[in-house]
Amino acid sequence: MIVVIVIVVLVVLVLGWLMYTYNRLVRLRNESDQGFSGIDIQLKRRADLIPNLVESVKAYAAHESGLFEELAQARASTLSAQGVAGAADAAGKTGAALGRLFAVAEAYPQLRASENFKRLQDELTDTEDKIAAARRYYNTVVQAYNTGQQTFPASVVAGTFGFSPREFFRLDDDGDRAPVAVSV
Amino acid sequence: MTLQQQIRANRVRTTFVLFGFAILVGIFSAAVYFAYQPGVAGFIGIIAIVYGIVSWFAAGAMIAAASGAHKVTKEQQPELYRALENVGIAAGLAKTPDLYMIDDPSPNAFAAGRDPDHAYVAVTTGLAKMMDKRELEGVLAHEVSHIRNRDVRLMSLAAVLVGVIALASDLLMRITIFGGGSDEREGGGLGPIGVIAGLVAAVLAPVGATLLQMSLSRRREYLADASAVEITGDAEGLAMALAALRDDTQPLHTVTRATAHLYIESPLRDHKGLRSSLGGMFDTHPPLEDRIAVLERLGGFTLPAPASQPATAQ
Repeated sequence: MIVVIVIVVLVVLVLGWLMYTYNRLVRLRNESDQGFSGIDIQLKRRADLIPNLVESVKAYAAHESGLFEELAQARASTLSAQGVAGAADAAGKTGAALGRLFAVAEAYPQLRASENFKRLQDELTDTEDKIAAARRYYNTVVQAYNTGQQTFPASVVAGTFGFSPREFFRLDDDGDRAPVAVSV
Repeated sequence: MTLQQQIRANRVRTTFVLFGFAILVGIFSAAVYFAYQPGVAGFIGIIAIVYGIVSWFAAGAMIAAASGAHKVTKEQQPELYRALENVGIAAGLAKTPDLYMIDDPSPNAFAAGRDPDHAYVAVTTGLAKMMDKRELEGVLAHEVSHIRNRDVRLMSLAAVLVGVIALASDLLMRITIFGGGSDEREGGGLGPIGVIAGLVAAVLAPVGATLLQMSLSRRREYLADASAVEITGDAEGLAMALAALRDDTQPLHTVTRATAHLYIESPLRDHKGLRSSLGGMFDTHPPLEDRIAVLERLGGFTLPAPASQPATAQ
């Protein structure tokens, strides 16, 4: 009788732990997905600013057609990017091309003084802050998700149910590291 | 301790505190039941429950009204609103909290609401004027982490429970003083001893409730600071903001004991005598010096020492 009770208690404990671990991994996976779609929304928002920016710069620097072409391509690749690596790649290209566009704009004081351009620049700055914020959240969640899968004994559950680590959202041009675990 | 462990430990404490409140309410009701007729206990109970439910749903609006905060739009405060949006995104909130402002030159901020979808962050005009973007983001991240860690829910609950107990004990006092000699009272009462027991319960219950509320919010400030650093990745920005709050000595105008525990820094700056005599038991916030020191250790930097006489240093 006692043996049966011990076995039942053990089985219940193990099943409870399995459920808890599995649910935790699912929650972290969903949060990672949400985090990535958060970045994606902001990247697309930035891409949608490109046509207007190009229009306003074109009025002053029509000869920079190579740069405009590059921006159009960057926008297209952002809108069609697949997965974290693809989105990061397109984001890096877009960022570099936009940087060159503003370098060009520097030479045209009238352009920089125009209300329309200032508004676009302001909106772009805001979007870039939001991309950075969304990346920070995504990377934090992914770190928790990956660590949750790799630590024993949760790694057994992760392996059995096919959870796999996610990539961090990294950009080429920054030395962005994985977030440091905060401890007090 | 990592942040996750701290959140977990905090949840356990939350359970204990709610348990403590439940025991307090139980003792209080028992005292009422034995000192008076069951009818009185039932009457007070029903009023307290109705009051509790109403204030739970109206908590956010009630707190805003009590602190003089009004809602502002993105158009009215674009910079502040954007900073709040960014912090909300970095914290992973599904919805940007509403932004409220308090017309007061004293810098301070708080968050309120019953859950992350019905929450708002309120800042004073003085804070918005005084702080740069980094400091603002630190303060907003502190408030947003109160929302994300469900602190606002617990604190609203604490405010409601304290309110319920205060109301019940107030009713009891009135009944004892004005209704004690009523002829309709059934025989078999406990007489003067019962009345005294009831009075003692009526006086002690709110004090106990307030103590629980205070100890609850003090621990949460450290946790919210740590979460804020996780959100912005900028321990120094928050530390500079706290230093600015430390160096400011203006008291907030519209504040009551009931809402004091919500703010990022204690808005009641005139209770030094009480603090030294009671060892900080009634303080709603840990000293800013301690919070800054924790952030300095976390971020590996040192802020310059306060230029003037710090207002809250011991």
